[in-house]
Amino acid sequence: MLSAFSTYSILRDVPFAFEGDALSVLQTDVFIQAFLSSLKFAGYVTVISLLIGYPVAYALSQSRSPYKRLYILALIIPVWSNMLLRIIAFEKLFYPDSILNMFGISLDLIGTDWAIVIGMVSIYLPFMIFPIYAVLEKLDQRLLEAAYDLYANPFKRFLHVILPLSTGGIISGILMTALPAMTTFALPERLSAGNTILLGNLIENYVMRTAQIDLASVIALGLLILMVGIYRVLLRFDAEGETLV
Amino acid sequence: MHLIEIDQITKSFADTRALDDVSFYIDENEFITLLGPSGCGKTTLLRILGGFEHPDSGNVRLAGVDVLKVPAYDRLVNTVFQHYALFPHLNVYDNVAFGLKMKKLKDSDIREKVMHALKMVRLENFAERRIQPLSGGQKQRVAIARAIVNEPKVLLLDEPLAALDLKLRQDMQYELKELQRNLGITFIYVTHDQEEALTMSDTIVVMNDGKILQIGTPVDIYNEPKTKFVAHFIGESNIIPAVMNADFDVSFEGQSFQCVDAGFADNQPVSVVIRPEDITLKKRPGKINGIVDAITFKGVHYEIIVYVNDKEYVIHSIHPQKVGAKVSLHFEPEAIHVMHDV
Repeated sequence: MLSAFSTYSILRDVPFAFEGDALSVLQTDVFIQAFLSSLKFAGYVTVISLLIGYPVAYALSQSRSPYKRLYILALIIPVWSNMLLRIIAFEKLFYPDSILNMFGISLDLIGTDWAIVIGMVSIYLPFMIFPIYAVLEKLDQRLLEAAYDLYANPFKRFLHVILPLSTGGIISGILMTALPAMTTFALPERLSAGNTILLGNLIENYVMRTAQIDLASVIALGLLILMVGIYRVLLRFDAEGETLV
Repeated sequence: MHLIEIDQITKSFADTRALDDVSFYIDENEFITLLGPSGCGKTTLLRILGGFEHPDSGNVRLAGVDVLKVPAYDRLVNTVFQHYALFPHLNVYDNVAFGLKMKKLKDSDIREKVMHALKMVRLENFAERRIQPLSGGQKQRVAIARAIVNEPKVLLLDEPLAALDLKLRQDMQYELKELQRNLGITFIYVTHDQEEALTMSDTIVVMNDGKILQIGTPVDIYNEPKTKFVAHFIGESNIIPAVMNADFDVSFEGQSFQCVDAGFADNQPVSVVIRPEDITLKKRPGKINGIVDAITFKGVHYEIIVYVNDKEYVIHSIHPQKVGAKVSLHFEPEAIHVMHDV
């Protein structure tokens, strides 16, 4: 905050004063471009993660398989491994010459939007699955029987009982996915071959390369405010306000 | 034709047999209670009728139609669940309206029916309330309204009053019975509470270990239990080993007594049941003599334990006795009930 609205800097010793000069970064083309790209990718990734994650979470919660814990572990283990490592692994696979050639597959995705979307979804999907799974797992099975008893077929039961009672998990999942997706920088850098600049890259650039910490601070603060805004909007969808974890 | 015919239902879970070749029928407008200790299979049977469980073998016919192939959401049966299972994201009105909305009735019809159902359970002013802050009794009423609003042929009730305190439970017993009379629909009621069963039912089905032990009216079941288990389970009783000398003549405690039972083989070993309230104590010596061991005040009566030949007798009496007093036990021939069970 200090960096954003004053002359304060950890790098230079200058007299302290409040100023709003750094705010002008929000009007630059490069910022607007990065902001729109970030919004676009975060949007894609969140929607795709939700579309894949909800069914997975639902199937997991309904599963009576003895291997259920194993499935869950299989989803957790990637989260435990270094993210940069996973990004680099994707990078290797997305070049035409990769280990996939062994199977007769040659991808040429580096530098495309697809590379970023696939990479992000694979990394953030567990953060969508687990909050939803946690809510669905706790869902009172007797409510599902009550719905059946009251003439709701499986589809209606999902629509009128399961979905409304899992909005809390969906909201958590969206927040857990959208926020990191908005601010990621390593992933687009590696997978877009520098074609795509997202807000994370912009911040990294201002901090690490051009030492314009005030500009980076303004962007970071802006993101924070945006996220709080999204959170407030999502809360309204949580019907009774009691399902949110 | 009976409304419901349950035919040779068998159901096992892992290695336990929850229901073992159970068959009986239920008539229209009947208030029938499945009574038994927990784990006797009564809830499993109810869940099979509701469509939440599928039997390993056997048949269930509702109005002549085999319903086992019909999924729960297409059965003309509704359930009042033990823990209410009200939808927390809907208010009282929408909970009650749920079934009608699923059946796609017109909004105006739904409103009329829902308000009528809420009125029947005396919750007409609660339509817009949320579920969570309601008391147990109110939730129970909502659950009942949510079921009866659909006008099912059969209402299944799974220990609906178990979570309520005694006073409320007694009020609700009365209300449920009234409701059943007014609606004219069949109630199948599961409970482990023998008093509840005796108070409310037209017919009681006593179950244990997945089998039906006895079916009858509350009076029959109470006065003429067929087995020791039923005698024990339906209220306190004294069960005494005895021998049937001849028709209307049974001997126990070394004495012979006149009784009202016949049709046994001569000298057949039997058991005799005498209810605690059917025994009167007198000071002068009689056929059966004992010593008062303990006395407990139970409100309406005293519970008196009398030792006779090292055996305990339970007697309910409005007259207190002194511990250690010598007394004699007296009962009418009608109070002696002879069972085959030894």
